[in-house]
Amino acid sequence: MNLRHPLSVAVLAAAAALAVSAVLAALAGATPVEAGTALWEGMVGTPYAVGSSLGVMAILLLVATGFIVALRANLVNVGGEGQICLGAVAATAVGTALPESVPAALALPAVLIAAAAGGAAWASIAAWLAVSRGVSEVITTLLLNFVGVAVLLLAIHEEALLRQEVTSSETLPQSAPLPDAAHLPLLGVEGSPATVAILLSLALAGVVAVVLARTATGLRLRAVGLSRPAAHRLGLPVDRLRFTSLTSAGAFAGLAGGVLVATAPFVLAEGLSSGYGFSGLVVGLLSRGSLAAAVLVAGALGFLVSGGINLQLAAGVPAAVTQITESLLVLAIAGSAAWTVTRARRGRTRGRTVRSPFRRPPVDVSAPPDPPGRPAAHEPAPQPVGTTLEEARS
Amino acid sequence: MRTTARTAPAAVPADTAPSGTPKAPGTGDAPALSLRAVRRTFGPTVALDDVTLDVAHGEVHCILGENGAGKSTLCNIVFGTVPVSSGDVLLDGAPFAPASPADAIGRGVSMVHQHFSLVPTLTVEENLLLGRSGLRPDRRALRERLAELRADFGLVVDPSARVDRLSVGERQQVEIVKALLPHPALVLLDEPTGVLGPAEIDGFLSTVRRIADSGTAVVLITHKLAEVMRVGDRATVLRGGRVVGGGRIADLTPERLVTLMVGREIGGLDAVLAATLGVTGPDVAGPPAHGPTTTRARARARAEEPAILEVRGLTVLGPEGARRVDGVDLAVAPGEIVGIAGVEGNGQSELVAAVSGSLAPEAGSIHLAGETVTRASPARRAALGLGVVPEDRHHEAVVPGLSVAENLLLGRLREHRRFLLLDRRSMRTRADELAERFDVRTAGTDAPLSSLSGGNQQKAVLARELSLDPLTCVVAAHPTRGLDLGAVDDVVTRLREAAHRGVGVLVVSSELPELLALCDRILVAYRGRLLGPVPCTDPDARDRVARLMMGTAA
Repeated sequence: MNLRHPLSVAVLAAAAALAVSAVLAALAGATPVEAGTALWEGMVGTPYAVGSSLGVMAILLLVATGFIVALRANLVNVGGEGQICLGAVAATAVGTALPESVPAALALPAVLIAAAAGGAAWASIAAWLAVSRGVSEVITTLLLNFVGVAVLLLAIHEEALLRQEVTSSETLPQSAPLPDAAHLPLLGVEGSPATVAILLSLALAGVVAVVLARTATGLRLRAVGLSRPAAHRLGLPVDRLRFTSLTSAGAFAGLAGGVLVATAPFVLAEGLSSGYGFSGLVVGLLSRGSLAAAVLVAGALGFLVSGGINLQLAAGVPAAVTQITESLLVLAIAGSAAWTVTRARRGRTRGRTVRSPFRRPPVDVSAPPDPPGRPAAHEPAPQPVGTTLEEARS
Repeated sequence: MRTTARTAPAAVPADTAPSGTPKAPGTGDAPALSLRAVRRTFGPTVALDDVTLDVAHGEVHCILGENGAGKSTLCNIVFGTVPVSSGDVLLDGAPFAPASPADAIGRGVSMVHQHFSLVPTLTVEENLLLGRSGLRPDRRALRERLAELRADFGLVVDPSARVDRLSVGERQQVEIVKALLPHPALVLLDEPTGVLGPAEIDGFLSTVRRIADSGTAVVLITHKLAEVMRVGDRATVLRGGRVVGGGRIADLTPERLVTLMVGREIGGLDAVLAATLGVTGPDVAGPPAHGPTTTRARARARAEEPAILEVRGLTVLGPEGARRVDGVDLAVAPGEIVGIAGVEGNGQSELVAAVSGSLAPEAGSIHLAGETVTRASPARRAALGLGVVPEDRHHEAVVPGLSVAENLLLGRLREHRRFLLLDRRSMRTRADELAERFDVRTAGTDAPLSSLSGGNQQKAVLARELSLDPLTCVVAAHPTRGLDLGAVDDVVTRLREAAHRGVGVLVVSSELPELLALCDRILVAYRGRLLGPVPCTDPDARDRVARLMMGTAA
């Protein structure tokens, strides 16, 4: 067996991660077999487990899809968490305000559109700052997360806003449940909580993949992401494209928030997202801009999260250990993939050390940097000397 | 097979160095630097093949060749940035295989790079002390050494000046001082005069001569023949990574060197090309050989036509609020080629940026084909027929990560849509057709643009800009920079053709002979203003432009 094969590397890395996790689980009192069984059962053991895994996957995929759209324009959306919260708040506001008589065909789209609009509005703050003021979207979207979570908390603690009617001292700070018409329909598999959310997220990922790869808009976004000055020079509406892509990322995350509210228990409550925004970001980053990869990574992570919950419940392993297990697995697989890619790249360019940015002589920053390219591109034009030949010879 | 045996210079005893007595450390009979059958490959590309040459103490050894001939690779091998694939390098007769530039410097090899390697925000002194070890750099020793360099070579630098306040020529001076600080036995100069003006080049060349006269071996990489003839003792010509000829400068004629560099007789070369090489300057060959569009009669006829591009009172501010372009007026008539010469940094870049729509002007107006476009978007300008060949190809002209076809058609994707999707097939057809018409050599228009050579990338930019419909005006900034002779020839021909079709052409370049051969008249950028014009039919055009470049009245 070739130990350097990418697959072997990934398998070995994953095995190592699992071994470390098994030790931790053993320290917490669960034998490796118990822990392994619990994890597996929680992932795919029962229709219920599969259904809840798919539910998590749908949320992660929606956030990651948005992340990839923004990434095409070279914008990094770190604000998934806040956008989910705002999407959920908007969805709840619309959902609880709907009269009972509204049919599902209207109520559900209304709730989901409101969710997307809420997320988009939240992201548009950062997008506007990035486009008009040049503020880094990494910072603004990240900071808006905290505000977004706070907005959600405020909404569910104030009766004037979205808190359910307080009837006793035991009334929880959460919204009233959404009407039945606004619930996401189940897929209808016996004993499975899976909703149409998974289909919705897969369909949207497919549409986005086509838009990015096959349309003029996708190509323009890519050009803007690769070189803003060149895109501007070629007459592309650079600012508009950047604004739209980051706002779309917010819309997708907001939609994820709407999906969370429109699935059981159909209320807006504290901890609604519990880090899906960041896990979605991880999915987006790991899939390196490919939606097909995003589907796979979201699936893997979704099942892992779901299995981790069962690990706590069935094997009595502390939540911290399950989170360590998940993180180690992600690190192991992503790390081995990155290692493989780097190695392949290094192999391709072996013997071209001159071109490595680390080996090039430092360059006066005021001078244009050497462009990467064939060796020929590194030499300047033949430039005439300021003296004529006659002078030169004399 | 040793193809180099016939032409490569044999080991040169130190006493044949034509001037100065070698007194550098370690002077023996061995040459300062010897390359023996050096070969270097980058993947399938052979950058250097069986290169054998010797550099004696106290001589200026010029290495000539077109782009991609392997000149820079040779430098990088000696300076320790690239190892050899095979062959030997000897320094003073001892084997020499530097693992890093620090290693090379330790062995007495210094290098001045094509691009400055100074930290702009530090002072000259701080720059010179960079790379010294120790917590407390010895400033006094440095000042003493600077005084020595001033006495020996006439090199004067102000240690307390900040580098970003220095002119290009002064920075070059600092670079040379930096290279000479550690008492090198060998100095490598990689295209050192590319950024200098005529007066600065003169000063630089005499410094080079003095360095060699002190016994230090100097390797001068260049493609400027006039420099070689002026300071060189010996020359070696590389073509395609091989030594194709060389010898003592005294035994060589410029024509012979060009023939060696290009691999064909000068007679077959374009006039512009010959001018670029310095073989036939306008002063040598009489009036410059003009393209088909340039005659006095035509020029007069054009003067009566309304200008296609007109700039009035244009002022552009730099990032610090300095007036980079200061109230400039400019008009380009249809079919006219107007050149803007000048030492770099005199506002040419900002002028082009404002005309092309990358930079908003502070005051003044820009008119294109009868419309005011002062603040119009690049898309609007393109629709009015403005083609732009930007100065910085990788920054602004192309998106290297996209394919050739995508780069060619990015501005007009609307014409390639079928239903909601992009019509890749029609894009490819159109791109293939453009690539063929403009002779862009690719592995296919689906290949990433970054896989093309510099010359072909520039051809792709020209293909995109000159195929605008309508095309009324072309603004080209340094369109031939970084290109080898074949590509220069092509670019120049395309621009002439465009002018012949009635397109107004504005060319910014620092290559005076090229401008003289291409343009109808030349303006000179000097401190944000345009001086001139100097008609190129004027027999004194060259001298007048050169004087204007230095700010002295014509």
